Amino acid sequence: MPLIDLGAAIALGLRYFTIIYLTGLGGLFSERSGIVNIGLEGMMVVGTVMGAWGTIAYGPVAGLVTGAAAGLLFSLVHALATVTFKVDHIVSGVVINVVAIGLARFLSQLFFGQATQSDPGIPDFATINIPLLSSLPLGLGQAFKGMSPVVLVAFLMTMPALFVLNRTRFGLRLRSAGENPEAASSLGVRIWPLRYAGVAISGALAGLAGAFLAIEINGLFREGQTQGLGFIALAALILGNWQPLRLMAGALLFGIAQAIPLRLQDAPVISLLPEEFIRMIPYVITIIAIAGFVGRVQPPAAAGRAYEGAAT
Amino acid sequence: MATEAATQPRIRPEWIDFLVAQLIALAGAFAFAALIGAVIVIAYGEDPLFVYRTVWAFGTSRPQDFAIVLENATPLIYSGLAVAVAFKAGLFNIGVEGQYIVGMAAAAAAALTLSGLPTVLLLPLVIVAAMTGAMLWAAVPAVLKVKTGAHEVVTTIMMNGIAVSLVAWLILHPLRSDVTTTDLRTEDFPASALVPNLATSLGIEDVIPDSIVHLTWLFPIALVVCVTVWFMMFRTRLGYEVRAVGSSPGSAEAGGVSIGGTQIKIFLISGALAGLVGLNHILGDTGYLGSNYETGLGFSGIAVAFLGRNHPAGIPLAAILFGMLLRGQDGLAILTELPIEILIILQGILILSVVVAYELVSRALARRRQAQLGQAAS
Repeated sequence: MPLIDLGAAIALGLRYFTIIYLTGLGGLFSERSGIVNIGLEGMMVVGTVMGAWGTIAYGPVAGLVTGAAAGLLFSLVHALATVTFKVDHIVSGVVINVVAIGLARFLSQLFFGQATQSDPGIPDFATINIPLLSSLPLGLGQAFKGMSPVVLVAFLMTMPALFVLNRTRFGLRLRSAGENPEAASSLGVRIWPLRYAGVAISGALAGLAGAFLAIEINGLFREGQTQGLGFIALAALILGNWQPLRLMAGALLFGIAQAIPLRLQDAPVISLLPEEFIRMIPYVITIIAIAGFVGRVQPPAAAGRAYEGAAT
Repeated sequence: MATEAATQPRIRPEWIDFLVAQLIALAGAFAFAALIGAVIVIAYGEDPLFVYRTVWAFGTSRPQDFAIVLENATPLIYSGLAVAVAFKAGLFNIGVEGQYIVGMAAAAAAALTLSGLPTVLLLPLVIVAAMTGAMLWAAVPAVLKVKTGAHEVVTTIMMNGIAVSLVAWLILHPLRSDVTTTDLRTEDFPASALVPNLATSLGIEDVIPDSIVHLTWLFPIALVVCVTVWFMMFRTRLGYEVRAVGSSPGSAEAGGVSIGGTQIKIFLISGALAGLVGLNHILGDTGYLGSNYETGLGFSGIAVAFLGRNHPAGIPLAAILFGMLLRGQDGLAILTELPIEILIILQGILILSVVVAYELVSRALARRRQAQLGQAAS
């Protein structure tokens, strides 16, 4: 196999990594605050359509902002349902995903004049080459050439995420809301604002990831383009044991897996399979990873549980 | 104390309170959704009352209109039931989508390979093939859930993605028709594999033309399946165990119920029901399986199940409402300038408000009963 293919696969894999990692980080904040978020996929969907709109209107930076803002606003529905009205988190998340499909069609009709896609070729970011890494031999340097600057931003997000979670008052209180809200509350911590904040962060990051998908991978909004990436982010979160660095490893694995059908279809062994079976590989890898790891991880103790105390 | 409680006139039978509460929740949710819908319609400069009247008229004015509504409702009843039975055990079958797609492919394979058989044999075999295919597809997440703890929401979504590719391959290779070269599709199924049209069977095809309306026997069968599911859930041991596992796994296990075994059983039943979802499309309408088959019926089933309160009596009503909204889109397209997606938004708002309203009402009910019991006890 020419290694240049591998380089190209890693390059695309890093773009998918960006989506999975950003969305997973969002899910991490939501779940560590105690709110299970199955609706990440739907929040991402809203981000794709609004991100495409913002990009067409004002350029790609604005597109990321509108995508994130739309995801955040939409996620507040999940927060309202689960925190204020104490609806089962998974029921609400499932409904969020069903509603997002309709909402995306509606918004697409409104902004693009057709329900299922925008015009292709929306503006994207100028690419960058990573010094040193992009001159790796045997074609592997390909992986670090023509990189989207947002990929770097995604990697760098790890630091503020770790800092906020482990070193700030907000982060520690957020985690206490997800581990033992009753104890936190007895110490004077108000639970509901923390949980709203956790869900809002997840909505903003999932929306951002959706906008990135539309701008930097597909070059348009198209119905169904998220293809379960929000759930794969959830899988990466489980694999990562709800911790940013391990989540990053999981997102890298799943991101590269996404690139296999698109860039490694001619690689040895893989090329023996029919095209349709190659397309199954990312899903199969996700299932195997989840089934193999789930028993060895520990979700936040109060995730999925309504906090029954006073809502003040 | 017990006799005191019995003499307290303020404690009504629990089920009346329950029913009244459900109806209040439903009415509130409908009113809220209609209100938000009206605001959107007014924002478009149209008259909301006219819009709602149009939707109603397009679904009810002629028998054939209502027949189209029922045709739309048929697959949604099956997918709603599939979601609901799993939900009763506390499981989320988000994979109905992939399961019915695999079911359609299994039905197509059976119809084409056994084409020589007469209807009385072939049609049941085709239906069993669809149910079996979908059930096997559901077996993977079910077993993984019980054996490894992998959450079924993630695994069923992944199985959906795999199903789409698998069926694309099946249509392109083993099941591909040699005759048609332009369309990616299977051969036409033999007539003995098709489900008879209801209007034709009843001799009323001049009122409900069978060329337009594909309302088949699968609709009355869906109602029979609802009754069967009700019987299974509320009158059999399995149903009792399923509800016990769903409402309180700890007590169920303490009572000798195997949680894992029950979960696998009900998930397989859910998958088998999912296998019926795509049948009206291929056996009642197209007569073949094409690569442009109907999608999204599994996800709509989730909405139908939640709206129908996961109850076999509520699900057909919710499915008919959704069928009516689907039919109403034609009306809006013809008579108004509104984007038809407005009705999809309306569906979404309705589902969200129903879920919230049920939660609020059932919590209020629980609080009141507790207060009453406290009063009765003191």
